[in-house]
Amino acid sequence: MDSTTQSVVFTTQTPYPLPSQKFMIPTTWKRYHLSQLVNKALDLAKPVPFDFLVKGEILRTSISEWCAENGVGEEETLEIEYIESVLPPQRLSEFPHESWVSAVLCELPNHFLTVAYDGYLRAFDMSRNPVLNTLLHTSPITSFCTVPSPSNDNTYTIATASQDLTAQISQISVEASSTSSKPLATLHLHTAPLSSVSSNAKGTQLLTSSWDGLVGLWDTTIPPTDEVPEPTLNERERKRRRKGDDATTKKPKRKAPINVLKSHIGRVSKAAWLNEKEGVSCGFDSTVRTWDVENGLCTRTIAASEKPFLDLVSRENGQSALVVSTDRTMTLYDLRSSQLSAAVASFNHPSTPSCIALPESHTSSSQIVTGSYDGIVRIWDLRSNKAAIATFKAWDGTKKVLAVDWRRGVVGVGGEGGLDLWKVAAESDTGAGSKKSV
Amino acid sequence: MASVKAKKTSSKRKHDEDVAEEQTLHSATALEMLTDDEACGDGDDDLSDGEAVDEFPEIDANSDSDDDEVEAEEADEEDEEDEEDENESEDDEDELLTDDSEHHIFPKPKTIISKITGQPKRVYPEIEPDYDSDSSTEDAPNRVGDVPMHWYDDMPHIGYDMNGKQVLRPAHGDELDKFLATVDNPDSWTTAFDKKQQMEKPLTAEELDIIQRLYAGENPDAQYDPYEPMVEWFTGKGKEEIMPLSAAPEPKRRWVRSKWEKQKIMKIVRAIRQGRIVPNKPKTSSKTQEFYSIWSSEPSSVQPPPLPAPKRALPTNAESYNPPGEYLMTEEEKAEREKLDAEDRERDFVPQKYSALRLVPAYDNFIKERFSRQLDLYLAPRIQRVKLNIDPSSLIPKLPSPSSLRPFPNYRSLRFTHPKGRVRCVSISPDGAWAISGDDDGIVSLWEVNVGCEIKRWKFEGKIGALEWCPRADLSYFVVGIEETIHFVIPPNVDASILALTQSLLAPSTLPPASGTPSAVKWTTPSTSAWSSEKPILSLHLAPSSGVVTQLSWHKRGDYVASVSSGGSQNSVWIHQITRRYSQAPFKKIKGAVQLVLFHPTKPHFFVATQQYVRLYNLAEQKLLKTLMPGIRWISSMDVHPSGDHLIVGGYDRKLCWFDLELSEKPYKVLRYHSRAIRSLSFHPTYPLFASSSDDGSIQVFHARVYNDLMTDPLIVPLKILRGHQITDGLGTLQLRWSPKHPWLASAAADGTVAVWCS
Repeated sequence: MDSTTQSVVFTTQTPYPLPSQKFMIPTTWKRYHLSQLVNKALDLAKPVPFDFLVKGEILRTSISEWCAENGVGEEETLEIEYIESVLPPQRLSEFPHESWVSAVLCELPNHFLTVAYDGYLRAFDMSRNPVLNTLLHTSPITSFCTVPSPSNDNTYTIATASQDLTAQISQISVEASSTSSKPLATLHLHTAPLSSVSSNAKGTQLLTSSWDGLVGLWDTTIPPTDEVPEPTLNERERKRRRKGDDATTKKPKRKAPINVLKSHIGRVSKAAWLNEKEGVSCGFDSTVRTWDVENGLCTRTIAASEKPFLDLVSRENGQSALVVSTDRTMTLYDLRSSQLSAAVASFNHPSTPSCIALPESHTSSSQIVTGSYDGIVRIWDLRSNKAAIATFKAWDGTKKVLAVDWRRGVVGVGGEGGLDLWKVAAESDTGAGSKKSV
Repeated sequence: MASVKAKKTSSKRKHDEDVAEEQTLHSATALEMLTDDEACGDGDDDLSDGEAVDEFPEIDANSDSDDDEVEAEEADEEDEEDEEDENESEDDEDELLTDDSEHHIFPKPKTIISKITGQPKRVYPEIEPDYDSDSSTEDAPNRVGDVPMHWYDDMPHIGYDMNGKQVLRPAHGDELDKFLATVDNPDSWTTAFDKKQQMEKPLTAEELDIIQRLYAGENPDAQYDPYEPMVEWFTGKGKEEIMPLSAAPEPKRRWVRSKWEKQKIMKIVRAIRQGRIVPNKPKTSSKTQEFYSIWSSEPSSVQPPPLPAPKRALPTNAESYNPPGEYLMTEEEKAEREKLDAEDRERDFVPQKYSALRLVPAYDNFIKERFSRQLDLYLAPRIQRVKLNIDPSSLIPKLPSPSSLRPFPNYRSLRFTHPKGRVRCVSISPDGAWAISGDDDGIVSLWEVNVGCEIKRWKFEGKIGALEWCPRADLSYFVVGIEETIHFVIPPNVDASILALTQSLLAPSTLPPASGTPSAVKWTTPSTSAWSSEKPILSLHLAPSSGVVTQLSWHKRGDYVASVSSGGSQNSVWIHQITRRYSQAPFKKIKGAVQLVLFHPTKPHFFVATQQYVRLYNLAEQKLLKTLMPGIRWISSMDVHPSGDHLIVGGYDRKLCWFDLELSEKPYKVLRYHSRAIRSLSFHPTYPLFASSSDDGSIQVFHARVYNDLMTDPLIVPLKILRGHQITDGLGTLQLRWSPKHPWLASAAADGTVAVWCS
């Protein structure tokens, strides 16, 4: 069988293009041989491992086996796309938590932030030391985000969403000498636990989503006085309040929303910004909705059938969105097209996928990371929807993954087992970086 | 004899008919014939030529019989026949006469008395030796001879005359002449041109007659008579052969009596004499014919006729006494044959070769073979057995495929674990977000349905018997049944307005007026200062020794909750009204131990399941409506369809009964799919689904579509068996609850886990 060859044309979107010509390749070759071939052909100074996609499927066997499985004859010319291969993820460190971690943030340059079901916000520095451990809510915190603000290096504004029906804007400082946190304002709108909060790129506005089907739009300015009155207390509470009157003098200001986006029937599981003016949300009513945030109008509704959505990320500057749902699929929706053809691709998971993250926000990267309830984190390439490119198991046993975040080649995995950090080199770190710099 | 006579008469009739025909045909001659007939009637004297006259008297074939009457008949017939014959002869004569006028082939002789001898003698006319006397002298217009006439077709002449001169072709008339001839000459259409004679010749009457006969499809010969009279030569009086035909002496047997016959006859005679043969059988009544209906009686046997015995195979070459060499067995083959059992051998004999048939010995297995053959004929049953040939796949009812009935729960999304104790009950909040589960250790956990993270935990003393969320959407609390108390608990993280409403309902500042009849159930609320989400806001204490609360069942409106206690047979069912803070026992006395109760979703009806029966009461009118008999030995679970018209009942004996309440008191369908006792049944509030859980650890999900049309039966399709729970202490999955808004299922199992199954 050594003599049999297959004619192959290579294509790529990586910064390492090959001249478009036919290669006659022995069919016994596997990924390793092909990768070596490309490296030699390009004469790269530093070898770059590649993965090879044939008709949307990652080549894991030899070419002949793949051809036999897919019924491709030897005479046909195979078009093989190569991508930079994801190196096997390596565990960097783990941070056990007392409670389940519900959200992870790896955005900050020197720190990792987590929020947990016990209501605490925790910060860890690069040397794995817990820097901050502060109670923000008495109920589980479900989601949080940083509010970009022109402030000094180690002080950040954080927005948290909790099951106690409020969101909160707090200021934390994680300086080496002194760490502190100060709640600035509480956001009062929702009548059911909140599911997500997200800030726009400038840090001027927030979107919150809740189980009551509402999406709230807020600005991040801290009002001098309460915008929402204190609830009318009955006698018992008043008595109690009087006792602890001194403690509540420095309590955060109560804020009201700028606008309320009403259209979802049922729980909204995620609301995010597409750009400065548009938002997107998904919910348990199997719809993905885009919003004109300023006017509070639902501009487009993509309705799926029986797909309660759990999480969403937008990519390519808001042109498409990836959603995970309880029917164990991750679906790529084109937000610009009409409803019927909106679903572009579907990726099947063996267990409920709970969270999803892109390497950088709003990029056109084709790699995604998802976490699921079977405790396995999967890295996908959108061009290959048959199987994940790489998988790793965060903790032993079946501990649920509830949050993932992927920044600067580090995947933070939060869930039942606490926080886990894994090193996963995102595709074309160099390429994307260079594009950004340009 | 009669038949012969009939023949005769028929033949006679035919003659008559023929005669009549002839008469009509030749009407001109018929007149003459009539006169002739009359003449014939007078006598036969003037028939000079004497031909065709029957000299013989008619002889009948039956003339040897000696019946007088027959003879008389004969005589009549003879007369008639004579007449006929004469008629015919007359006809012939007539024709002959006409013929004679044309042809004179032979000169007619004259009979004269010889002058010399005095004897009559025939004298022929003198032959004149002229041209007429010989055929060669006949006037032959044809001068050619017997040569084909087409030889002269190109010539102006035809032949030569005596002088060697050419005989010119006689002139022919042209077409006009021919036409005129047809007008003038009436015979012209029967004339034809004779090439030999070179002249027009009319057809003779004889030829015309032949043509007519041919045209009529008759025999062309006018002389031919198909009905010629029979001529008797040797029969009849005076015509018998007297002299023997052969000179051989007559055999002896012609005149000597046969001894053998004598013996035979004597034997019969002797038998008659001895009375062994009754000469004249007494005439029995069988002479008179009996009529009977051949279809009246049943056929003799219902069974089909037995099969014929199998035929023996015909002998082949191997059976021959002198078979060809290839049929003979070698020594090895013989040895091999010896090893086999008698039944397995190819043949039951060894072919052997003998040079002659007389050398063949007697068949040694003769008796044995005959015996086995008789045995086979006698004992082997020959009844054809009809095999039931049913395709098993045709017996399976045609159901839609489960994939077309999505969504339904098909995988386990998550599992919530209670560290110790089996989980007996689970309940999902009406908004579908929260689940509570209670275990035998007294722990009630509140957790998110979608994440499975425990938010809150309550610890009670004793086993948790039942848990139910209040179905009201504007309130948020649940009831927990522990031992003999029922606690009302408000979960945390509730909106302030809902919380206030719930608190005001469960612990109103002004208690409603107590009703007249004091109840055995005490409603207690802790003081407001002691309120916390850790403690129940309201507790009901049932009467002591009333037993563990095993079931709590809400009315759909959320104002009434019914509780069933396991302990005493009396007062085990209570209905608690929340707004009035009042409990009442609906039944003073109830037959059997109550297992379960259910409120009808739309009507004021109340289902009560005892061990074997389900009774349906109307609470408003306080009377029994119906008693359903599921045929289950011990009912374990029950649920009512959201429409209220259908009920499913499960039992510890693995049966699941579907009742259509509109139909009968017997189940519409009984499903028995679980291998162990059924523990819980549940209808989905909105999707057409129901599920059953069992002690075998599995959950079975069914599609149950109910039609508004009363004529259409509900469609029940098994969809999925969900496995994943372990069996602990013989207990499997103990309770099932559906998520109200999604096709998701929560199942509490004895292995201490609660699983959420998603679609």
